[in-house]
This record gives sequence, C-alpha cells and structure tokens, in this order.
Amino acid sequence: MKLAVVGKGGSGKTTTAALVARTFARGGASVVALDCDSNPNLGISLGLGEEETERLIAMRQALEEGEQEHAPGWDQLLDRFGTDAPDGVRLAVVTSIQNPEPGCP
Amino acid sequence: MVGKGGAGKSAIAGTLARVLARQGRLVLAVDSDPMPGLSLSLGLGVVDAPIPDEAVEERPEGDPGPRYRLRSGLSAVEAVERYAVDAPDGVRFLQFGKLRGHVAPFVRSQFAFRQILDELPPESPTVVGDLPGGTRQPFFGWARFADTVLVVVEPTAKGLLSGRRLARLALGDARPRRLVAVANKVRDPTDVELVRARTGLEVLAAVPWDEAVGDAERRGISVLDAAPDSAAVAVVTSLAQRLSMERMSNSIGT
Amino acid sequence: MLSSVNFSDVTVIADLEAGIGTLTRLANEQVDVVLLVVEPTVKSLEVGARAAELAREKSLGRLIVIANRVRNQADLDAISSRLPGIEIVPVPHDPAIVEADRHGVAPLDSAPDAPAVRAVSKVAEDLLAAVKRS
Repeated sequence: MKLAVVGKGGSGKTTTAALVARTFARGGASVVALDCDSNPNLGISLGLGEEETERLIAMRQALEEGEQEHAPGWDQLLDRFGTDAPDGVRLAVVTSIQNPEPGCP
Repeated sequence: MVGKGGAGKSAIAGTLARVLARQGRLVLAVDSDPMPGLSLSLGLGVVDAPIPDEAVEERPEGDPGPRYRLRSGLSAVEAVERYAVDAPDGVRFLQFGKLRGHVAPFVRSQFAFRQILDELPPESPTVVGDLPGGTRQPFFGWARFADTVLVVVEPTAKGLLSGRRLARLALGDARPRRLVAVANKVRDPTDVELVRARTGLEVLAAVPWDEAVGDAERRGISVLDAAPDSAAVAVVTSLAQRLSMERMSNSIGT
Repeated sequence: MLSSVNFSDVTVIADLEAGIGTLTRLANEQVDVVLLVVEPTVKSLEVGARAAELAREKSLGRLIVIANRVRNQADLDAISSRLPGIEIVPVPHDPAIVEADRHGVAPLDSAPDAPAVRAVSKVAEDLLAAVKRS
C-alpha cells in the first residue's frame, strides 16, 4: 500500500505520518517511511530523537556532495539513506536540500 | 520572514506590514508562497493573481541572464505601481501567484517578481516579505532582497531544528546584512533563551502564545483587525519600532 | 520511486512537503491513500481544498481528511463545509500532542492513550484491516 500525507505546513502532517507508520508496523506491516520535505523532521515525530534525525540528514548531504547525477534506485536509497526507527519502521530522507523543486525523486 | 511551516510567518509579516504602514512608511508586502497566507493576514482574503504575462518579455537568445525579464520600459517601481494589489492601511501586496489544480504557468511571473525585488530602491518602499515554510526557498536565495531576515521560531523541537538550519543562511555567500530570530507562540519564560541557544541568533522579539491569534487564523482575517489590543499585536508593534530605530541608527552611521 | 517498485508486501508512507507542489507532480493513480491533514483555519483549509481537488483529478486513491485540533462542533463544521463529501476523521485538540511536540518525542511513546493518538492510530488500524481482508 502506498500512502501520501499532505497538507499545509504546521497542520500536523508529519506527526500524523509518523503515527500512522508506527501503527501499521505494530500491526505487522513492513513499513517504509519517506520524508520528502527539504526541511526533514519525520525522524523526530517517529521518536528517533533530534540528534539521530540531524545525523541522518548530514549523512545524506555528505553522500550527495559530489556524487549523484540522477536519482538513485530504490534499494540503494534505502540502504544509504535509510535508518531504523522505532517499531521497525525504515525511515529514508529522500529529498535533497539542494533540490529547487519539491517532491520525491 | 522565514521559518518552519506553521511557525507564524504570515501572521507576523501581515501584522508587521500594516503596523509599519501606520507608522507612516510606504510598505510593500511580498509573498513568494504558492499557497495562500500573507493576503489573509493582511486582511485581503485569498488572492490568487500572478503578475500578468504582459509585464514580461523573453530575453533574446545569446543575451546573458535570466530567461525572462520585465519588459523593456517597465521599471521595478512601475511594475509595483501597476500590479500590486491594495491592502488595508495603504499597504501594497505583490506575489507571483497561487497554485491550484494544474501546474500554473508561473515561470514568467516568478522571474518578474524576483527582478522587481532585486531592483527596487533600497530606502523605499519598505518591503516585508513572507516566504513559504522550510528551507527550500531561503537556501535558493529567495530572501536575498532582504537586508534583514527574521527567522520565526516556535519553541518546539521541530521548530528549533528548523530555526537552526535556517540560521545557516548566515554562512553562505548570500548572507543577509542582518539575521535575527523572532520567537513565536511563546508559553514559557525559558523559551526565549531556548530559541537563542538553539539557533545562535539574537531574539529580536518574543510573541506570546495568544488565543486571539488562533481566533484570527480560524476566521482567516488579520490579527490587527480581530484583536488590535492583543499581546501579540503589542509585541509586533514594538518589533516594528525597534526595526525602524535600528535602521535609522544604521543609516546615520554610514 | 513510487511507481517503479512492487509494493505488494511493503507499506510506504510518504510525508510530502507542505503545500500541493509535490501533489501536482504525482502521476495519476500513483498512490492508494491520501491522508489530507487540515486544521480548522482558513489557510489550512485553502490548502486542503486545493489538495482535495488535485487528488480527485489524479484519481489518487482513497482520500481521507485528518481534521486536527478540533475543539468543538463549530471547528468540525468549518472543515466539513469546506471539504464536503469526503471522509473526515476528527482528531481532538490534545495537550499531550502539544507536549510531545515541544520535547521532540513521539506522542505514541509519551502518551499512547491520549485521545488524539488513539484517533489517528485507529485510521491506520482500519486501513490495515481493510488491506488484510482484500
């Protein structure tokens, strides 16, 4: 199943996405949470903690500098940019802070 | 005004614009968010209109520079004269348009909008700009027209993290002359120091959590109209005075 | 990515950037469920109405409105009148969420029995049950 969470900034999108993700995981689903925001905060809402969330971003940016010419494949993204969040949710911050257009690659 | 989505940028920008206008300035409120916000906070309701195509021409092939520009003969000041919308207290309002349904052709309007901001004379009008939430536009230089960038920070974990990211604007080539924080929805006396410590920025104003603002947001009207005597309005009013005084002393010094 | 992978055994939840910019770039029918998160302010509902319009145009699966920070019937009415004919799940204004937000912890960890947490969890549980039945 593919779900997209949308709305005005500040309405509770990220809090909702995280709660839904972890509830699905607790119900037995294999869950991948994608943070498509160029100001990524989903890690915090998932309960990863600020430090881990910031570290995740920094890792992605460090890898990006000098490398990717085009969007990497799905499994590569999850491997390189993903991290394990509570309840077994796999979190990946997939948008680039350097991307002038919004959206997941 | 930059900050995490929901921090209160539009509400503060709209109120600030009208307060500055009431203090006697010629104010241009500018909005680069593809979703409605600033026009509601000014008391204008939802305004979708972009800068029309007639204002823009395509740069001739081989001519270096942005793909579109204001048509020859149209200055930035004249473009504002023609295309800005009248808002309360004599404020003028300018934007590049609002998204709906399909991807609207804002490309021309966006180029015009940015060129106008780059070319307006420095002393007047006073420009109060509202950017969309997040880091995208700020990191792409959409705030470069501003000599002062205010990072609006709500003292939540996500708000503070966003504020810290935006504080990095001070590090780039396009750093503004002044980068400060405005703490918003402050509930606790320790919030201001929290914002200062987490962002590393001077906190120029601390707007308290205010039911009156929530009420204005529900109704989609300006806080200034909904609750002119509210604490939030009082703080934004002194912020306006403070910005004006500091601007004056900067000018005197040069 | 959303269109290239077989997701029959994985649930993907994408937290999109604020606004409708990303939505405008999605291909038709690219997702199964859109959770449209709104609160009872004019600005939030403006974005909501535009997002709902787009979700319909692109046939983006089941549209569910998560109505956040609802304090009373008037708040709920403001939302339903702006988004008529759409499934709406009211989520009450909840100090436990405010507290979790302040401290950067997951509400599910700090207040698992809070009304707002239960309301959103229930949406997920119902969606999961529907998938299992099919």
